[in-house]
Amino acid sequence: MTAVTDQDHTDHADHTDQADHTDHADHADHAGETVAEGGRPEKRSPEEGVSEDDAPVEGTSDAAPLGEGDENRTGAGDDSADGGRPKDGTVGTAGHAGTHHARVSEDDDAGSGRKDDDTRTRTDSASAEATSVWDDGLIARRVAEDGTVAPGYVPPVVETRGPSAQAMAAPLAYDGHLRSRLDALRELVGLSRTRLDSRTLSEAGRVLDEAAARRRLSGQHTVVAIAGATGSGKSQLFNALAGVAISETGVRRPTTAAPIACSWSDGAAGLIERIGIPPRLRRRPLQSAEAEAQLRGLVLIDLPDHDSAAVQHREQVDRVLALVDAVIWVVDPEKYADAMLHERYLRPMAGHAEVMFVVLNQIDRLPGEATEQVLDDLRRLLDEDGIALGEYGEPGATVLALSALTGDGLGELREALGQFVAERGAPARRISADLDAAAVGLWPVYATRRRTGLSEEARDEFAGRLADAVGATAAGEAAERAWLRNANRACGTPWLRLWRWYQDRYETPTGRLLLRTQEDEEATARQRVEQAVRTLADRASAGLPAPWAQAVREAAVRGSQGLPEALDELAARAGLPPGRPPRPGWWPGAVLTQAAMTVLQIVGGLWLLGQIIGFMAPNLGVPVMLMVAGIIGGPLVEWSCRMAARGPARRYGTDAERRLREAAAGCGRARVLDPVAAELLRYREVREQFGRVTGVGAAAGTR
Amino acid sequence: MVTLDVRPQLLDALSALRDRVAAARFPLPLAGAPRARANRDELLAQLDDYLVPRLREPEAPLLAVVGGSTGAGKSTLVNSLVGRRVSEAGVLRPTTRTPVLVCHPEDHHWFSGMRVLPDLTRVWVPHQEPGDDLLLPGENPARVLRVETAETLPRGLALLDAPDIDSLVADNRVLAAELICSADIWVMVTTAARYADAVPWHLLRTAKEYDAALVTVLDRVPHQVASEVSRQYAALLTKAGLGDVPRFTVPELPESAWGGGLLPATAVASLRNWLIHQVQDPANRQQTLARTAYGVLDSLKSRMPELASAAAAQYAAALRLTSAVDAAYDSEHARVRGRLQAGAVLAGDALKRWRAFPVDCSAGELLDALMESLAALLLCAVTAADERVDETWRREPAAGAPGLTDRDPSLESAEHRIGMAVRRWRRELEEYAEEEVRDLDRTVAPDPEAVAVLVATALLGGRRARSAGEGLAERIGAHGALRLRDRGGRLLAEHVDRVMHTERERRLAPLDALDVHPEPQAELIAALSVLQKER
Repeated sequence: MTAVTDQDHTDHADHTDQADHTDHADHADHAGETVAEGGRPEKRSPEEGVSEDDAPVEGTSDAAPLGEGDENRTGAGDDSADGGRPKDGTVGTAGHAGTHHARVSEDDDAGSGRKDDDTRTRTDSASAEATSVWDDGLIARRVAEDGTVAPGYVPPVVETRGPSAQAMAAPLAYDGHLRSRLDALRELVGLSRTRLDSRTLSEAGRVLDEAAARRRLSGQHTVVAIAGATGSGKSQLFNALAGVAISETGVRRPTTAAPIACSWSDGAAGLIERIGIPPRLRRRPLQSAEAEAQLRGLVLIDLPDHDSAAVQHREQVDRVLALVDAVIWVVDPEKYADAMLHERYLRPMAGHAEVMFVVLNQIDRLPGEATEQVLDDLRRLLDEDGIALGEYGEPGATVLALSALTGDGLGELREALGQFVAERGAPARRISADLDAAAVGLWPVYATRRRTGLSEEARDEFAGRLADAVGATAAGEAAERAWLRNANRACGTPWLRLWRWYQDRYETPTGRLLLRTQEDEEATARQRVEQAVRTLADRASAGLPAPWAQAVREAAVRGSQGLPEALDELAARAGLPPGRPPRPGWWPGAVLTQAAMTVLQIVGGLWLLGQIIGFMAPNLGVPVMLMVAGIIGGPLVEWSCRMAARGPARRYGTDAERRLREAAAGCGRARVLDPVAAELLRYREVREQFGRVTGVGAAAGTR
Repeated sequence: MVTLDVRPQLLDALSALRDRVAAARFPLPLAGAPRARANRDELLAQLDDYLVPRLREPEAPLLAVVGGSTGAGKSTLVNSLVGRRVSEAGVLRPTTRTPVLVCHPEDHHWFSGMRVLPDLTRVWVPHQEPGDDLLLPGENPARVLRVETAETLPRGLALLDAPDIDSLVADNRVLAAELICSADIWVMVTTAARYADAVPWHLLRTAKEYDAALVTVLDRVPHQVASEVSRQYAALLTKAGLGDVPRFTVPELPESAWGGGLLPATAVASLRNWLIHQVQDPANRQQTLARTAYGVLDSLKSRMPELASAAAAQYAAALRLTSAVDAAYDSEHARVRGRLQAGAVLAGDALKRWRAFPVDCSAGELLDALMESLAALLLCAVTAADERVDETWRREPAAGAPGLTDRDPSLESAEHRIGMAVRRWRRELEEYAEEEVRDLDRTVAPDPEAVAVLVATALLGGRRARSAGEGLAERIGAHGALRLRDRGGRLLAEHVDRVMHTERERRLAPLDALDVHPEPQAELIAALSVLQKER
């Protein structure tokens, strides 16, 4: 059978596919609408999603062998379109199918709306980035400004990306771990959209979109692209694997200008469409039972080169590489150490080692033992690129040597590919690797190596600074002293009071007189409040990734607006009531005693005076005793009062200080600390999600 | 036909230009800076390795550098041209890690000295195993040049086998570019599998830009497809405007291919003859020399302004950074002055103490509180300015230069410096107060500390400390009070200015250390115009 007749056949299959798709899509839309109208909440908890999703997965695994058996019997798979129908029916009850479709369409809503824009900007930014990395100014690396030299330029194929096609084969299912990681990433993107710019999140969005898009398509097929430098023999290998000369080979460089697809079994139309290969470039391999059995489910794509002067080729390669499940890198002995290949593709894709084959082609050009040498050197280079090699049964890239021309080693590749495709794990592994890469890209905006958060110390210090700003300490001290002063004055001997009063008449009053006369505006030290907030923000944002640190700082600044005014008002309210401080109960007693002492002195003095002027009978003892008691007792009472007043005075002072301090701290907590803590909490939540995305679990935030 | 006539003035102008280029620095990480640095290095290498020695000594042998992608068969080609194995060839890529220069024994002295390629250490022994560590520690193993002699080469011609132009090893890449730029004749090697690769085409375009004497070799062409490939290659060259470049085709032969052996003389005869013809025919030689030399001189016309504009961009970026700092500190300075005037210092603790003074608070305590409050005001201004600078700089790519933004350790010391300045002001204020009191001829002299406190309060308290001024006048007389306040106020303004200035300088210090000036731009252009005049 030749390729030409084969093409007819595929076209035919395509038509049936299309019809089926529209039908399906309608159905899905319809289901989605009814569900949406049913008032189903947009967001689901992950558990719910999991439980609902499990059913279709089981159904598929049951149904798949059935369908295959069917196809085997009919042979050519012409009626696979019909074969798809019953499969859907066996998946589960109508309800199940409905929920499943609803889910799909929901994903669609989430993804496809911005997908087109996203893809465009992504390729733009990717190419710009790549250019900047690559175009480092050495004379061999200058990228043409005008692009006049474009040998063998072929205008790119106009892509027709139709409405997202529904695979008739059972769609792909990711395992629980990967699914939860994807959910976590979706959640993460949602949580941080307000904090991060869309450019940072675009890669994550792309991974989510691709994961959703891939998931809707066949899980029984594995899309493998053959990529490599110009002249390495990609098309030759492609033809050798297909068994037919599908792709044009030649000495004219670059040969292949547009990707060509070749599918070993039916039901891959959606996948090929996603990659944007038009029907006229889709082929079937040579029909042979053996090859079919071995490579069932393989969709092979022959790519243009990535290193020729035709820039459009490289763009095509970059675009397709993001969409396929696995890649076969074809290198040849002449080009295997090209910087372009290693720096531009292999190193950035090192995480995708598990879905990567590296094939050393054209070993027929090498003399005997040189093949092994070159292969070893290639392995060394790959190792330096950070690509895990799948040796000794470990997961990693498969490295093979072959000659597409003579067929040497082709069997090995076929076998490896067959096994790889039969496992059907490639799409999930690719998405997983994409997820890893996205997580690495997001690492600097989410992860931190330090323990973050507000320590108790920082909170206390903030409260202390606010207290300083309202002058709590000074107010307390002043209150204590005023109390003590009043006590002394009240309990002092009258003579002392008289003297003080006399002195006060000549003492010029300074600040004291204003104390009660004028209500202060701006009694709070603005600069101290500002500094306190700034220090707190610095402490809270220390170690946070830049966007989150900024958010914390903004929250602090927003909270601090109006804080000084609030503190002013509060200080006026929480401060001491104007007027004399309150007096303890023992004061009247002390005052009375002091008065009694004075009375004793006066009585004694009068008595003595009376004797001196002879008014009274001379009796020296009693009046002198009275006077002495009064003279000694007065200061004694004053002294003991002072001692006794010390405790209450201190209590009074600390009480005044505490009231101010607590009021200030409460105000600061409500206005600044709480918003900051909320922001920190949000970050912690996001970081937890990020930990889930990286797959290490929730505890990975601070590693 | 152009010939090479060299006047000493031209050489002087050229070496002046070289010094200017060598002095140009691009420390700020702007978008164009890496490219400018690479251009500068390349230009410098080309001046040192090629242009200056060539103009000084036009009679020196022609140097043909064989360059191309890895695996293009450069070493095999050189070996075949020489007729014996001088350069390692093999199947493992990249093969040539040490460049090899081959010349006639009598030309040896031209290359053994440091006339050309002065950066490369010469080695004489045949290639060492990579394990041998004869190099001194710190010596870059890539920067060596092996000089070989061969009788089979004609006099006046030297061949240089360069590492591949797009090697995985970054050092090799740089070295290859440098070597190719030092050539009189650029021999570009590509293969049947590679002739459409982007890398060799970049190289060819550069050669065209410099108008160097160029020859291309299409190597390793399987004989079945030789004519077709050759035709297509020619078409591509013509399309790129390089149709007149001499083109040689070397077939892929079994005995040569991967053993690193020699191609038969017939395979490379045409190339060999062409090269010999270039060297031995005086007119041809002159033309080749002059073409490459003038090509480089002409290329200066566009390359120097490029460097100059990069230097200008650096200066503009530095200016933007500086003005951001200036603006932030200026506005904070103004704010501090305004708040001093408004009496913001007399708030919080200080205000409470002032209310209690003198009955419940001593002069020392009040003075302490005032000074603390003043220091807090200044510190707040400085950190606010720093924060504003950070915010502005975050949007500037140039602020990413190392050392510009890490200011964390200096914050504590800023507090320390401000504290020092405030304490010094206090001490000076107290001295003034004592002076005033001493001059007073009163029987009961007021306490100097109380006077100092009143002055400080009057200066810092603004409107709400009016009574402090009155109290002061009562104590030391209106005249003395005015004088004291005047002096204290001047002193305060001075100290505040100094603090803000010091902090601004501290912030600008790392930027100043980068030494970005407007002069390089003008100097580069001036050197170029002098050179143009001398030609």
